[in-house]
Amino acid sequence: MPLNKEVMNIDPEKEADRICHFLKEYLHEHKREGYIVGLSGGIDSALTLTLCVKALGSKNVFGVILPEKDSNPISERLAREHAKSLGIEYVVEDITSVLEAFGTYEKRDEIIRKIYPAYSSNHRIRLYLPENILEKDSINFFSIDIMEGDDIVFSTRLRRKDSQVILAATDTKQRTRMMHLYYHAESMNHAVCGTTNRTEMIQGYFVKYGDGGVDIEPLAHLYKTQVYSLSRHLGVHQGIIDRPPSPDTFNSHVSDEAFFFRMPYEKLDMLLYAWENDMDERGTASIMGLGTEQVKRAFTDFERKHTASRHLRMLPPNMFEGD
Amino acid sequence: MTDGSNDIVKTVRTFIASNFYLSDKFKELDPGLSLMDTGIVDSTGILEVIEFLEEKFEMVIENDEIIPENLDTIDNIEKFVRRKKGL
Repeated sequence: MPLNKEVMNIDPEKEADRICHFLKEYLHEHKREGYIVGLSGGIDSALTLTLCVKALGSKNVFGVILPEKDSNPISERLAREHAKSLGIEYVVEDITSVLEAFGTYEKRDEIIRKIYPAYSSNHRIRLYLPENILEKDSINFFSIDIMEGDDIVFSTRLRRKDSQVILAATDTKQRTRMMHLYYHAESMNHAVCGTTNRTEMIQGYFVKYGDGGVDIEPLAHLYKTQVYSLSRHLGVHQGIIDRPPSPDTFNSHVSDEAFFFRMPYEKLDMLLYAWENDMDERGTASIMGLGTEQVKRAFTDFERKHTASRHLRMLPPNMFEGD
Repeated sequence: MTDGSNDIVKTVRTFIASNFYLSDKFKELDPGLSLMDTGIVDSTGILEVIEFLEEKFEMVIENDEIIPENLDTIDNIEKFVRRKKGL
């Protein structure tokens, strides 16, 4: 199909049925009785939950809300409201103490104090990549803002080792959530349902053995804009639909766009589609009203993120010769 | 500190060869080869290159300068260092 706005169109009813069938087949094949869904208060987990309930009914779906001290309180509220509206059972388990016991905050804060010695619990932080890649070319690197209230009191580019340690510490949040989800799944003979969409899957915007550690990924074929259209069709909580997507992992707000994608979803998904389908840069630019250089930069960014994240999508290579 | 083009190329090449994995295909480390497209250096690796350049050539690299045309090949790095140092 040539590139045009229609490539993102889906038949929501058909798509929902197809996904419900996929969800039911997995349970049948693996003899599980239902799904566990981790609810972040974001659109992907909300749609996943809605689809699971549509496929199995509310009795066979269990929601787990796993906030920690850096989570935006609105996330928990929206997750609860959505779970209640679907009539499912759910639990809220604050994972702060688990993360403290592991040293998640301490490991991260040790690096931040090295960069900014006055850093204290009164400060908030956020990490982000350079601005919109369509506007300006730049290699990806993380910067950190240290905030007091809404004011940035210190901002700097992170050194390689420092960004690695901060992100490794932050990733333990998703891995701790995975551990909780599997506790519930095994204790109930359920499967853990993932929430990663295609836009994230292709570029590696998930944590290996964290939110990527699941039994099934029913949204992995849908671009984010398709997640939105299906969510609207299925009546996902409007507060969740209206909310700007965010990793919600730092105590100061940062959008998915600033933290990882470097362009708005409307453009991102169309460009990703063009890149995946080997469409030429000039034609793509003309259809999207962009310059060829802008499209080239986007394609290069996709290619690099895709290559760098290949290991996230693989099972561990092995020499096992069984089935 | 070194200042000749060949010295800069040699210094950067030695740093990359000893700090990043080079498959047989890229062992020669051609100065015109894209470090990022070939996967020799990824986006976090480029930060290590930047930190090395700042220290070795006693210069500060601004965020605005972290662009492929300054840093994606050894040739580009050499030109960038010379420009920054006024050589």
